Amino acid sequence: MRLLQSRAQRELVDKIEASRGRLYRMAFAWCHDAVLADDLAQETLAHGLTRMEQLRESEKLMSWLFAILNRCWIDHLRGRRDDLDDEMLAELPSPLPGPDSHAEMQETVSRVRAAVAALPVGQCQVVTLVDLEGCTYAEVADALAIPIGTVMSRLCRARTALRSLLEPATAQKRLRSVK
Amino acid sequence: MNETRDFSDERLNAFIDNELGAQESDELLAAIAENAELGQRLCALRSTKELVRHAYGHLPPARRMRIGRFPMWRGAMAAGVALVVGVLIGWQGHQVAVTSPPGSVLAWAGGLFSRPAPTRVLLHLDSSLPERMEEALDLAEAYLAKASNARVEIVVNNSGLDLLREKSTPHAARITSLASRHEMLAFVACGNAISRYRNAGLDVTLVPEARVAGTAVEHVVDRVRQGWTYLKI
Repeated sequence: MRLLQSRAQRELVDKIEASRGRLYRMAFAWCHDAVLADDLAQETLAHGLTRMEQLRESEKLMSWLFAILNRCWIDHLRGRRDDLDDEMLAELPSPLPGPDSHAEMQETVSRVRAAVAALPVGQCQVVTLVDLEGCTYAEVADALAIPIGTVMSRLCRARTALRSLLEPATAQKRLRSVK
Repeated sequence: MNETRDFSDERLNAFIDNELGAQESDELLAAIAENAELGQRLCALRSTKELVRHAYGHLPPARRMRIGRFPMWRGAMAAGVALVVGVLIGWQGHQVAVTSPPGSVLAWAGGLFSRPAPTRVLLHLDSSLPERMEEALDLAEAYLAKASNARVEIVVNNSGLDLLREKSTPHAARITSLASRHEMLAFVACGNAISRYRNAGLDVTLVPEARVAGTAVEHVVDRVRQGWTYLKI
């Protein structure tokens, strides 16, 4: 019981729990599946709460939780593809969202999510950590256990791909509105 | 002077992500002032970033009903479980002398050695393997025999639910006997697991000693938050 006695530890438990929404959002941006995202966020919380001793610096909490989320996500992907190493996994196309999952979304939001979902896993993770969470490149490198150079190149490829996926749609829309 | 090619997309990205140093940022801004194309490239990247940021503002609510397609939680702890069980039994027999590597499951079990011994212990079972079911009951019984004032809960989910289903449990009599001897022992079933079983057309009448929680994971999180010592079987 000593483990959870100290105030600092109780505060940490609170912080871990409070991060649930952020974990869910990130998980959703990776898998685009509400059910799976909820599973991933819960698994991450459970891992986090039971392994608090591993967290050396409390200010790195979110990177640490995203690292756990990354492990859960990779484990899930690996569960479906046993023969892949990390490098290949990062290049794997993200699982596409279900056919009805975007039906109610606004067009732009839907289009952007579909574009993000179409990115390879590694690129999807980097761009969402940077854009949604405002993670620094160093934090992303830490969370995903990859070099900063890889973070930068994946981000670059991700944004280039997103631009080319989204630009034609935007252009078409502009044309329609001119009519 | 056309400096467009001197600024790679990686550098432009670093600028919009606030990763560029002050001097490099100044150089880039100066170049943009003289080069419209560079400005457009920067603008396009920035709007891509904004689009992504806004695409995840309103998400579908996290659904409570899960399909349970991947039991990864179990795998993460499995390696430590045998040791933890050994450790607990060791404590019972006063053979204590374990130094826990930091961050392992043992570090958590290490709390069981502190004086006084923990008074609230949560055992989590998510398997219907006969040896796992027995382990859970053995562990609860052994611990309660040593610390009779302790509260112990066995929470089950996934196929661990079989321990508490009347139709499937091989331990109904033992559960009744344990519960009658130990008022502070509780059996908790995961609501999600029950729904899944029901959806699969299985009978989910539980033994009378069992009660139902929303989800096992939430129950574990609540208990850990309240200061319970958590052990995965």
